[in-house]
Amino acid sequence: MTAADVAPAETFPGLLEHNARIRGARPAIREKDYGIWQTWTWREVHDEVRIMASGLAALGLKRGDTLVIIGDNRPQLYWAMVAAQALGAVPVPVYQDAAANEMQYVLDHAEARFAVVEDQEQVDKLLEIKARCPKLEAVIYRDPRGLRHYPQPFLHSLAKLEAMGREHMKEHPDFYDAEVAKAKGGDTAIMLYTSGTTGQPKGVVLTFDNIVKMARMSVELEGLTDRDETLSYLPMAWVGDNMFSLGQTYVAGFCINCPESTATVMQDLREIGPTYFFAPPPIFQNILTQVLIRIEDASWIKRRLFHSFMKVARRVGSDILTRKPVPLGQRLLYWLGELLVYGPLKNTLGFSRMRLVYTAGEAIGPDIFNFFRSIGVPMKQLYGQTEATVFITVQPHDQVRLDTVGVPCPGVELKLDSNGEVLYRSAGVFKEYFKNPSATAETKTADGWVHTGDAGILDRDGHLKIVDRAKDVGRLKNGALFAPKYLENKLKFFPSIKEAVTFGADRDYATAMISINLDAVGNWAEKRNLPYSSYQELAAKPEVYELIKSGVEQVNRDLAQDKDLAGSQIKRFVLLHKELDADDGELTRTRKVRRRFVAEKYADIVAALYGGKDSVHVEAKVSFEDGRTGTLKADLKIADAAVVTAAPPARALAA
Amino acid sequence: MSQPHHRRIGETVLKVDDISLRFGGVRAITGVSFEIRQGEIFSIIGPNGAGKTSMLNVINGFYHPQEGTITYKGTVRRRMRPHEAALTGIARTFQNVALFRGMTTLDNIMTGRLLRMHGPLIRGVHRLGAAGVLLRPIAAGIDFVFDLAFWGPAQREEIRHREVVERIIDFLEIQAIRKVPVGRLPYGLQKRVELGRALAMQPDLLLLDEPMAGMNVEEKEDMSRFVLDVNDEFGTTIALIEHDMGVVMDISDRVVVLDYGRKIAEGKPDEVRSNPDVIKAYLGEAH
Repeated sequence: MTAADVAPAETFPGLLEHNARIRGARPAIREKDYGIWQTWTWREVHDEVRIMASGLAALGLKRGDTLVIIGDNRPQLYWAMVAAQALGAVPVPVYQDAAANEMQYVLDHAEARFAVVEDQEQVDKLLEIKARCPKLEAVIYRDPRGLRHYPQPFLHSLAKLEAMGREHMKEHPDFYDAEVAKAKGGDTAIMLYTSGTTGQPKGVVLTFDNIVKMARMSVELEGLTDRDETLSYLPMAWVGDNMFSLGQTYVAGFCINCPESTATVMQDLREIGPTYFFAPPPIFQNILTQVLIRIEDASWIKRRLFHSFMKVARRVGSDILTRKPVPLGQRLLYWLGELLVYGPLKNTLGFSRMRLVYTAGEAIGPDIFNFFRSIGVPMKQLYGQTEATVFITVQPHDQVRLDTVGVPCPGVELKLDSNGEVLYRSAGVFKEYFKNPSATAETKTADGWVHTGDAGILDRDGHLKIVDRAKDVGRLKNGALFAPKYLENKLKFFPSIKEAVTFGADRDYATAMISINLDAVGNWAEKRNLPYSSYQELAAKPEVYELIKSGVEQVNRDLAQDKDLAGSQIKRFVLLHKELDADDGELTRTRKVRRRFVAEKYADIVAALYGGKDSVHVEAKVSFEDGRTGTLKADLKIADAAVVTAAPPARALAA
Repeated sequence: MSQPHHRRIGETVLKVDDISLRFGGVRAITGVSFEIRQGEIFSIIGPNGAGKTSMLNVINGFYHPQEGTITYKGTVRRRMRPHEAALTGIARTFQNVALFRGMTTLDNIMTGRLLRMHGPLIRGVHRLGAAGVLLRPIAAGIDFVFDLAFWGPAQREEIRHREVVERIIDFLEIQAIRKVPVGRLPYGLQKRVELGRALAMQPDLLLLDEPMAGMNVEEKEDMSRFVLDVNDEFGTTIALIEHDMGVVMDISDRVVVLDYGRKIAEGKPDEVRSNPDVIKAYLGEAH
């Protein structure tokens, strides 16, 4: 990053000053407190940040120091970040639900001198680790409740900090502006610790240029203005919140809203009715589940209305959203549905005004995605990383698809290396991992390309499709790409499939072990008067095999559409006699399949899947919930699934 | 709960002197005396049927003891009705949650403000004392019209009370259930709402009848923290009945132990814990 080529306004304190000048009376941030939405205008935020920065200076915060921020999304915590930046210090937001010893690593590694925290809960954690964090000098808390009698001299209330700030301002009236003017775009703006799945978290250093340039790019791309509204409810330590609640807000000048508490987010969402919203798939999943449950409890008129109009929505809703031609009759029906069902439903959820809705983080199920799009919520996917300052690819409004994450954002270069790993280069590329040059060198090449660690493919329209973690991707014997997680996710989108484990690396063809979803398949069986007494018996039914087979073949048909993945269609599969279980070591505690372990444990089954036999005898140890173990014996049938022939797999990934 | 306590424990606020309570031939309480001091957390413990709830009912005027006196804020009284107790700053919660199940959390807590809700005119007339007796019905009538119209002073008053209630909602961290009918809430939360309603009276003395009964460990921890915080933030004197000895010993300043209606011990938690009579009563030896 070359510094000094940007105006001072290209920092957050600079942008704040700019916003206070040109839209000083417009709302900048709201928080629901004591049941009422309290608003601060840009001018007021500017004043608050100035006071806070002066207070921090009076306490001794200096250029180059780090300051950790811990708590829920609160205006004062956002201000503390900008106040620290104004002094040339680096804010480091930390996940508020982290345990004390996890925080200790970050505080220690970041060499934090100051901490600004929300309440007693966080203060208690810091007191626990204070002795082991020798650099930590002062802790400032927002909410004094329960802290009145804490005797530690290094604890300060925010009120006290502000009083010190006012005093400092009287003595040094020009101090703040002079400090702000010293900042440059290439300076470190923030450090975010990524919750590394392996090893210790790494501190990603982002500059003002990174965040401001990417924010500017995305604001222009999506047409965000100062009339937009958003809800800031995702962790402040996550790069996305920094982009949405700080970067884009400060660039576009729109208003962010802090929920009353984590438990009230859905109610607050409804009251605010944001125009711009981000949520990872599980949140949309929860909302959809809530809706469906409430509908089942509703009176039969409402139920009938909902279900019949949802049929209309599923048929034409997505096309209407993207302004594709739709027959007039259908259009009228949809309009009626909007009046009677979709409109009121969106209003209840707080989705009425949404014009930009992002989801990202993991694959989203088709039923969730289609539900929201069909009722007119303009949901789309993006693909990003902390190291990229969020944005790598975004779906254009009119090219929203379930299975891709879109095209590269303006200014982002994208390429795939020989083993399919996605690499990118952009203005958002992070400066470095803090105090970790070897990890920086591993991830970022000398000419600025960053390894994502994700394997992907580009389809014929230039859309990126993420298939798996690069290290998990293998190849079939004939050289075709084999991305186990991609196949497993596709299988798991069927409600009757609970877990799937696929095999195929260095084999002749792909196979799958599937465990059925007892609730869904059980329901299905009851409706068909199929008797069963146990999971094992249900899973062995020929009818169930047929049901799952149709799903597998559907997946195969989908795969055949894709030249890179057509070769990894599932030829044979087996239905397991038990659910995969974390207690048996087959899943991690976060319910991820431990593929290698499963392959070893069920080596007989794997052998049979590739051996051409049509059944296999298994004996497996199981752990019951009370801790006892037992042995489960079964003869499992192995089924064949039809494979669609497509063009021979191309070795197309070589860049 | 290792936070240091630097609270000021003041003068005696309530003195129970030689109280005896009988229901026909049943002696519920026999000759019990103790004092509760300003700003302390005072616990009444004892086995089932020891007379704990009866004692609480005596304090807030629900039962009238046959013998003995109660001195509250320097005034000796023998007979008092519960609403008079409420007027003098005593609030309580009940062993079995006694909320309006069909009303929301917010409305339930608002009912705690009722005693403090007066129309502006009637308040003025009250200030006239005996001279204003004849004016009272007229003032009340005009206030009633204001209330109906929810206009002017009536509206201002409602907003003032709502503010108090919102602070309690914030304090008890029940924002998410503000508008949920309490009948739909889990038991632990109902208990918290009940505490909220008692707090809405801004009491000087808060009586809690088994605030943690039927709760799981986490709910008990939360409730203990709220009890401590109420005492700490508002300086409210708290008298509570509780079965969970762990909780009692953790949060109380002083404890009195009843058994078969008699006081068998009184003192700091540590003293009471090691008292042989208490151990005997709890372990049920040779009754």
